Amino acid sequence: MAAPREFRGHPASPGRAVGPVHRAGEPPAPSGLSGSGAEARAALNNAVNRAVYELRQLSAGADAESAGILDFQIELLLDGELLAPALARIDRGEGAALAFAAALNDQIDAMASQCSESASQCSEANQDDGSEVDPFALRAVDLMDLQHRVLDALAGRIRADFPPGAVYVGRDMPPSVFLAHDWSSGGAIALGAGSTASHVALLARARGVPMVVGLGALPGETGETLLVDGTQGLARLNPEARLLPEARLLAEAGPAAALPRQAPLAPAPHAAAGAAPFSAAAGGGETPLLLANLDTLADLDTLDPAEVDGVGLVRTEFMLTSAAEALSEERHLAVYRRLLEALAGKPVTLRMFDLGGDKALAGLTEGDPAGMLGLRGVRFLLAHPDLARIQARALIRAAAQGPVSVLLPMVTLPAELAAMAALFDEEAARLARQAIEGRRPPLGIMVEVPAAALTLDLFGQAAFFSVGSNDLMQYLAAAARDNPAVAPLYAGAETALFRLLDQICTAARALGRPVSLCGDLAAEPAAAGRLRALGLHGLSVAPRRLPALRAALAATVPPPARGTGFPDPATGQA
Amino acid sequence: MAEPAPLLGRPSAPRCQAEVEVTHGVGLHARPSVAFTRLAKSFPCTVEVAVDGSGDWLNGKSIVKIIGARIRRGTKMRIRAEGARAEEAVAALSGLVRRNFDEDRKPGRADGRPA
Repeated sequence: MAAPREFRGHPASPGRAVGPVHRAGEPPAPSGLSGSGAEARAALNNAVNRAVYELRQLSAGADAESAGILDFQIELLLDGELLAPALARIDRGEGAALAFAAALNDQIDAMASQCSESASQCSEANQDDGSEVDPFALRAVDLMDLQHRVLDALAGRIRADFPPGAVYVGRDMPPSVFLAHDWSSGGAIALGAGSTASHVALLARARGVPMVVGLGALPGETGETLLVDGTQGLARLNPEARLLPEARLLAEAGPAAALPRQAPLAPAPHAAAGAAPFSAAAGGGETPLLLANLDTLADLDTLDPAEVDGVGLVRTEFMLTSAAEALSEERHLAVYRRLLEALAGKPVTLRMFDLGGDKALAGLTEGDPAGMLGLRGVRFLLAHPDLARIQARALIRAAAQGPVSVLLPMVTLPAELAAMAALFDEEAARLARQAIEGRRPPLGIMVEVPAAALTLDLFGQAAFFSVGSNDLMQYLAAAARDNPAVAPLYAGAETALFRLLDQICTAARALGRPVSLCGDLAAEPAAAGRLRALGLHGLSVAPRRLPALRAALAATVPPPARGTGFPDPATGQA
Repeated sequence: MAEPAPLLGRPSAPRCQAEVEVTHGVGLHARPSVAFTRLAKSFPCTVEVAVDGSGDWLNGKSIVKIIGARIRRGTKMRIRAEGARAEEAVAALSGLVRRNFDEDRKPGRADGRPA
């Protein structure tokens, strides 16, 4: 057996795990989805060819009835008329997946309205052949099916998974790969580059997957045994046998002190301040609502709804991880319904897609860490209104079934909120015309851009505010959260962040709007006292951080009324 | 035909046109449309379709256009073709519509392959 070899990096997610190495391939070349029109055309044509090939395989083995349906889909795909609107959109600069999905949505919509307009004709035809459905309306279903198949083909090659229990080794890791993987058999992440503050690190901490970043050299080849110590920030190739057996069990954190953003794990739940919902806690000051951040539906398994006051942040871009899902209104609605059912009447705050920056959506946008100051969050949504409308419709429909609020990510100016509010109004009216049940949900904004944070008084149109401390900190410090070289600056901006938080809370109170905080800061027990003193209405953290936060909040004294300088929202007195 | 077909392309290209009534149970829904467009695409000439005296000529090789026209039973369908084998194409396509897309004789495959 080869000699042990140690690699040193930064701890990104605590715990230890050992497993066979899975060396990630180089990230796929950009598929032209955000590149040139020629690349996007080629990508779409390839996806269509692949879909036709798949359908022909299916048709060849199908019974006559099914083959007839499949042949119809094949014929549709081979019809230049179907692709023409998508190609025209690509010529206007849209990516392949969005162009195709939006073009097909237009046609599906057109069919639905055509059928409702000619309802009398439809029923006449129905009498003719005795069937219950309009035979010409079959097309809408077929188009949706095709849409999914082609979008899957567009996204497919990026979706390679790796064996359960393996240690993912690569330069960096796309969040979609993390999310597509089943971590229930263990495993870990060891990255040559990467960052402790990246989204994938955030996901790993929330899921309890040990992770080390900044190793420089990539440790090991596929199949070799690697031990990852996410607490110490070490990776050990071919570890000694004595280190192996208990490695999986040592999911216990030391004081992971390398970076302040690196919060320690929760203490054992029984050490937490009982099981009483925190909202019941007494004390002189306002106790912040205890809210959960949810990234995947699997997070629901680790969440006892009775233990929280609601969900403060659903990162929808992690819930719908393929273009086919992201562009399907029904798929959105199914996910939102699951969340509402699980929360059993408690409020759920759904954040619209926060794409761009380091968050890619295969088939829609390629990740571009350099784009953190570019087209991300609400900017991306407003630049792709077809995508925004799909999500808005699903959110409006979900809001009819439970207490839904909607958060807009990365808002800079009030005009962006106004534009999105108008889009919601339009879609709500459109759903009403189609007699589809809906309720226009309240819109709030993420406070993560300093320009918005400093001018919160101008955002009276927002129903609520949610501070995203991770992004606000990186933009305040002008220090990328995924660049280890400037990590101390990022961490050191905490003083600036707290001053700004003061100002944010004052402005929100003047507007009479609640403000909560989500982000790693909320999960730091050491910060609980200061956050409580600010008078925040809610703190939102990953489910597994809830016990620690509850304990930390219980340990803090209520803020002295004069200490904050804020009027108490209940009494109006300072 | 009452009026000459509007000029298509080169005046010298072979042209042909015919009218046929749709007698198939429902009309040109999915399966008959597949049969029609597949047959149309097997000819090198252009194939166009107009329904019930409309002056709107639709691409007969496009299933999107054909099914979008909602051609129901009893519709008078005009079929015209221009280019090589135009006459043969119009005859074949009219025949297909008259034979109810061969669904009575060969139930199953839309394209007439054995089920």
